[in-house]
Amino acid sequence: MEYDRGNRMDVQERDYVQHLFGKHISKGQVRYLRCAHLDIYERDRQGCTVVDAVSGKKFFDCFSSAGCFNVGRGNLKIREVLQKALDEWDMGSHHLLSEPKIRFAEKLASFCPGDLDKVVLCASGADACAGAIKLARGATGRNDVITMDKGYHGHEGFSLSANGKDYYKELFEPLMPGFHIVPFNDLEAVRKVASRDIAAIILEPVQGEGGIHVASQEFMQGLRALCDELGIMLIFDEVQTGFGRTGKMWGMEHYGLVPDIMFTAKSISGGLYPNGAVVYRDIRALTDYVEKNPFFHHSHAGGSDLGCIVSGAVLDYLVENRVWEHAAEIGRRFKEGLMEIWRENSHMVREVRALGLMIGIEYKYEFLGALMADCLAKQGVWAVYSGNAPEVMRFQIPITAGMEEVEELLARIRAAVNSMKIYLVFLLPLARIPLFRKILDNLKVQITTFNLVRDLEELVLKYVLKAQGFRR
Amino acid sequence: MKKDIATKQTDRDMLFAAAEKVFSKGLVDGIRERGHGFLEAGGEGAYVFDTDGNRRYLDCSSSAGTFNLGRKNRPIAARFKKALFETDQGNFVMPSEEKTLLARRIAEFVPGNLSCVLFGVTRGESMEAACKLARGFTKRPGLITVSGGSYGESGFALSLSERKRKEQFGALIPDVRVVPFGDVQAAESAIGNQTAAFVMEPIQAENGCRATEKAYYARLRSLCDRHGAKLIFDETGSGFGRTGTRFFFEQTGVEPDILIVGEALTGGIFPMTAMIFTPELKQFFDAHPLIHLCTFGGHDLGCRVAMAALDEYDRECPWDNARDTGEILLRSLGRLAGKKGALESVAGRGLLVSLKFASGEVARAFCVRAGEHGLMAETGKVDGSCVPLRPSLLIGKEETSFITDAVKKALGGL
Repeated sequence: MEYDRGNRMDVQERDYVQHLFGKHISKGQVRYLRCAHLDIYERDRQGCTVVDAVSGKKFFDCFSSAGCFNVGRGNLKIREVLQKALDEWDMGSHHLLSEPKIRFAEKLASFCPGDLDKVVLCASGADACAGAIKLARGATGRNDVITMDKGYHGHEGFSLSANGKDYYKELFEPLMPGFHIVPFNDLEAVRKVASRDIAAIILEPVQGEGGIHVASQEFMQGLRALCDELGIMLIFDEVQTGFGRTGKMWGMEHYGLVPDIMFTAKSISGGLYPNGAVVYRDIRALTDYVEKNPFFHHSHAGGSDLGCIVSGAVLDYLVENRVWEHAAEIGRRFKEGLMEIWRENSHMVREVRALGLMIGIEYKYEFLGALMADCLAKQGVWAVYSGNAPEVMRFQIPITAGMEEVEELLARIRAAVNSMKIYLVFLLPLARIPLFRKILDNLKVQITTFNLVRDLEELVLKYVLKAQGFRR
Repeated sequence: MKKDIATKQTDRDMLFAAAEKVFSKGLVDGIRERGHGFLEAGGEGAYVFDTDGNRRYLDCSSSAGTFNLGRKNRPIAARFKKALFETDQGNFVMPSEEKTLLARRIAEFVPGNLSCVLFGVTRGESMEAACKLARGFTKRPGLITVSGGSYGESGFALSLSERKRKEQFGALIPDVRVVPFGDVQAAESAIGNQTAAFVMEPIQAENGCRATEKAYYARLRSLCDRHGAKLIFDETGSGFGRTGTRFFFEQTGVEPDILIVGEALTGGIFPMTAMIFTPELKQFFDAHPLIHLCTFGGHDLGCRVAMAALDEYDRECPWDNARDTGEILLRSLGRLAGKKGALESVAGRGLLVSLKFASGEVARAFCVRAGEHGLMAETGKVDGSCVPLRPSLLIGKEETSFITDAVKKALGGL
């Protein structure tokens, strides 16, 4: 089925699409999103907003597919580059070299600090994470890996083993042995586990799914020194923090140090064409290993010709527009605005954390995540709580957002918080009773209740519409 | 813009030097040793071009069976261009219209009861999802596979694959057991009440196109049914018409519970793979929403490209051509085997044909020589003494005789 841009869906069509999605993909996913009014169908994907095909309502995209749209949604320049490239290129052959692959890899390395000069092209964040861990294990000849609590690196075998949340892992065990999970920002805990048997320490400079936790300077410096001392490979996951998101090109630049290996994906794609990469330091241990094992992580879809052309254009766009500076500037205002909201609502908000445009607001109660998502959606703000921390609402808008848009967004968030207060009049006292708190925090209870409310709401809406039609 | 050859030569040398620096000299040398020391400049139909502009190769690698509809398929590219101004990646957690319609389309396209879909980016990622689904659904840990498999580079996939020096990557996924391919008794004693899944490529493209008799697949199916284990087929290398039917499993007479398909899903224009499974297994995802996530999986733009590709598959029915042309090719190549010694035998189904040589060295030498005669091929990933030939499924008589001719000439020089 082809459709033209701007066309709309009516409620019956939406219900049919949801029925098909439930039949062929997952009923649970529909119910999950439906309960917080997050089941919108994106049209007019432009800049930092989309329009819901059903209601015609404008939504701010505060998720950005977990940070994929740093150049804005539907970036015309990138679209035109891809359109033109399609006259000449396809994915290309995985076993051949080409000008787009080489030029993009060179360009990527040239924007990485220090001696992060060597590149392995991959197809996605998880693919790149697997590549990074394989590189560290292969080069050091060691097995074990230290990862962080609430850390998130993907869902394939390597990255899942490194994941810091049980929900994603426990039904699929046994996973790879030798992954040690330690608390984030706790250098002492890392020291206790670190030894010459450890191949790598892997972390995100800012934990995205973990709830926007920013690594401290001391922690990062301590890790760097520890890794140097014990010959451990320090790996940064810059999948979400890369490409200007944090106010600098890379998250690592806030700390004035480089990891031995970093990997990235998401925004490298311009939101149009999957790609990813591992970048590693030109140091003997790593370079020698790759020279001897050049095909150690040979991904078929990684570093496709079209992908490299798109990613090259993304890098050009970021650099020409100095997008990270913009992220820092509007990120400051965004954080400031959220702090004001926090001060007015300190009874339910614990804290606001941010680095550039990676912003999170943490509530005092886990169940508020779902409720807030619902209230935000009703105000035209599409945001989801952190995968590994439901009490944290994330705001990762496309970096191209203007200051006026940020102001409008803040006004909507304020309105959402105010509307939430009505529910809290009776929910907060209940939450103080441990048993009720447990029920409220339970995901299944939340999904069932919210879906019931939604069913009622739609039923009422249907009758209202019918009555109006009857009157006419 | 057409630059003169001399400039291009310098460019090429410059770019190779840059590649040695940014990737590795080992990589560039490895590619050169295989006779592929040129820069790819896209392709068209059955051919791939080099940047020097004066050579074209008949692409018998198709990036491991991805370009089933030829290089840069025009109708797909045209619809891709249109779609890219109408949609983008989308937010991966949303149940978009693009994902939904493609899932339904795939359910219609794939024979049998395989009507549910989870999208991935690489074939490995789809294998990860399959193993996880089998473990999650059955609540059992055991994964059994056959020798000679090649499933990808990610965690579970690598754990199941036969790959040289795999131990360098440390302790991989536990509870994985490998049994000899085609050995009924080994399978019987391995599959039990702790088995989550039996995983295999029903035809091993990277391992001399090894397949076996129907009875083996039937036995696997009944063993899995009896013990409540799930049967997973990876058809990355054999799907979408490659072997003369839409999917190779149709020729085995059994239907898997989970089917992995590779980038041929988009005709090689977009990195997208899929895990296709039965409604029974979907219960797991219904009960555990968003437990397996993939940012680029189910990419809305990719879904539109895949829709276009599936329309092309249905329009062209390339499996018919693969069956007929494959038969001719297999016969004519078969006549070259044995006599001169270098080519020991030829095996395959449809347009998945494998040449078997005495050793890996001979096979590599063959690839280099074939390149000199305008045919691009690479050695098998598992069995390096084999050279799988997998051209576009739309080739005609002309290309078929070109392949035979080039193979003949290349053999002559060995």
